[in-house]
Amino acid sequence: MEPIIRIEEIHKHFGAVHALKGVSLDVEKGEVILIIGPSGSGKSTLLRCINRLEEFDSGKIVVDGIPLDTAENINAVRTEVGMVFQQFNLFPHLTVLDNITLAQRLIRKRSKTEAEKIARQLLEKVGIPEKASYFPGQLSGGQQQRVAIARALAMNPKIMLFDEPTSALDPEMIQEVLDVMLNLAKEGMTMVVVSHEIGFAKAAADRVILMDGGQIIEMAPPEEIFNHPKEERTKLFLSKVL
Amino acid sequence: MPVDQERKLMTITTSKSNAEKKASGFDSWWFLVIAVIVLLLMLIFLIPDPYQRIFVFVQNGIGTTISITGISFLLVLVLGLLVALARLSKSWIVKGVSTVYVEVVRGIPMMVQLIFWYFAFPSVIQGVGDWLNIQAFIDYRASPVAMAILGLTIGYAAYMSEVYRAGIQSISRGQMEAARSLGMTYIQAMRYVILPQAIRVILPPVGNEFITLLKDSSLVSVVAVADMTRRGREFQAANFLPIQTWVMIALLYLVMTLFATRIVAWMERKFKMEK
Repeated sequence: MEPIIRIEEIHKHFGAVHALKGVSLDVEKGEVILIIGPSGSGKSTLLRCINRLEEFDSGKIVVDGIPLDTAENINAVRTEVGMVFQQFNLFPHLTVLDNITLAQRLIRKRSKTEAEKIARQLLEKVGIPEKASYFPGQLSGGQQQRVAIARALAMNPKIMLFDEPTSALDPEMIQEVLDVMLNLAKEGMTMVVVSHEIGFAKAAADRVILMDGGQIIEMAPPEEIFNHPKEERTKLFLSKVL
Repeated sequence: MPVDQERKLMTITTSKSNAEKKASGFDSWWFLVIAVIVLLLMLIFLIPDPYQRIFVFVQNGIGTTISITGISFLLVLVLGLLVALARLSKSWIVKGVSTVYVEVVRGIPMMVQLIFWYFAFPSVIQGVGDWLNIQAFIDYRASPVAMAILGLTIGYAAYMSEVYRAGIQSISRGQMEAARSLGMTYIQAMRYVILPQAIRVILPPVGNEFITLLKDSSLVSVVAVADMTRRGREFQAANFLPIQTWVMIALLYLVMTLFATRIVAWMERKFKMEK
C-alpha cells in the first residue's frame, strides 16, 4: 500500500545552517511516529515541512497522493493535515467555539449550526464541553491545547502533526493532553509527534525516530530503541532524557 | 452636612471610575469638548459682531474641511492597508516598489506634495496629451478639491501603511501559521485572524493619524480649496480682524480634534471590553 506520507531526500538551509540533510521517511496510514532529538536537530523543521509551513530547498514530499508543489496542492494538503503547536496558537479574539468553527465554515463550507454541532462534539471528546463560550485567555494551558487539538480535528484531517504539544505546559497539565492524544492514536489516526514524552511513545508509538544534525540517526519500535539502542548517539541522547 | 456631601461626592466619583473601567461609564474628558463648544457658542451669540459674522462667513469652509478630511481618510485606510500588505510581500518587486513609495512620500513635505498635485500634475497630463495627441488629456483641468484629496491620500497612506505594518507584525507568527495550517488562504487568514487582532493594536495610532490629517487639511488652502483656513484668510483680508478671526478658526479646529480624540478613546474602550 502507498504510504500516506512519503518524504524523499529533503534538504533545507536556514542561511548557512544546513537544517535537514537529505531526510527520507515513509509513514503508513494509521501509524504513530514519535520524533525525538536535541534542540536544533531539525525535528520541528521536518514536521513543518510536511504541511509546508517551512519550504524545503530540494527533495519531494507527497501527502495522501498529493505532491507538495503548487499553491493549490499545498492548500489541499493543509486541509487534510491537522497541526498542533507548542504555543497552542489559538485565536485570542475568538471564543473557543468560534476558534473551532472558523475554518470549518470558511474551508469546509459548513453551516453555522453544523459547524457548532461538530465543535461541541469535539469539545466533549477532549473533555471540556463547558468551555465553549470562553475566550482562550481564560483557559489553562492544558485546556487551550485541548481546544487546539479539537480545532484541528474539526477539519476531519487524515493526519495529525504535533510540534512539542506538551513543552509549554505545567507538569500537572501534560497528562490531560497526552490522554487526548492516546485516544486519537487508539482510534487509528495517523500521527507524527515531535516530543520527548517517552511514556507516550511507549504507550502509543509504532516507531520512534532519533534525529540529530539534520539527519535521522536511528529509527525503531519504542521498546527496541529505548532498551537496545544501536547507535552511540542514541545511547548518549537517551541517557540524558530517560 | 458638608461632610456628608463630600462623602456623597466621593462615592459618586469612585463609582464613576469603576464604571469607566467597565467601559460603560461616561468619559469625563467629554467635559472639555463641551467646554470648548460652550465657549464657541458664547462668542457667537454674546458677541455676534464680529464672531457670528466670522462663523457665517467660514461656514461652508467647515463642510469642506470635514468632507475633504473624511473622504481622504477613508481612502487612506484602504490604500494604507494595500501598501502595508505589499511591503510584507515575499515578492521583492512588490516589496521594493512599495518601500520606495513610502520612503519618497515620507521624505517630501506635505505642502510641497499638495502643490505638486495641483500645479505640476495637470501640466504633466497635458504634456502627455500633447505628445500622444489625446484631446481629453490636453483639455485636462485640475479640480482643486480632487487634487487636494489625491495629495492628502497619497501622502498619508505612506504613514498609515507603517501603522498597519507595525500592527500586523505585532501579531505573533504562530497566528498566521495556525490559520494557514487549517487550510485558510493568506487573504482569509488576514481577514479573519490577523487584522481583527491588529486593529486593537493600531486603533490609537490610526486615531492620531486621523487627527493629524484633520489639522494638515488646512494646507489645502494653498491650492485653491475654500476650506476653513482659506475662508478665514479671506475674512481677515476683507475685515482686518486678525485676532477674532483666528481665535474663531482655532476654536473650530479644536472642537473637531477634541471630539475625534474622544471618539477614538471610546472605540478603544469598546474593543478592550470585547476582548
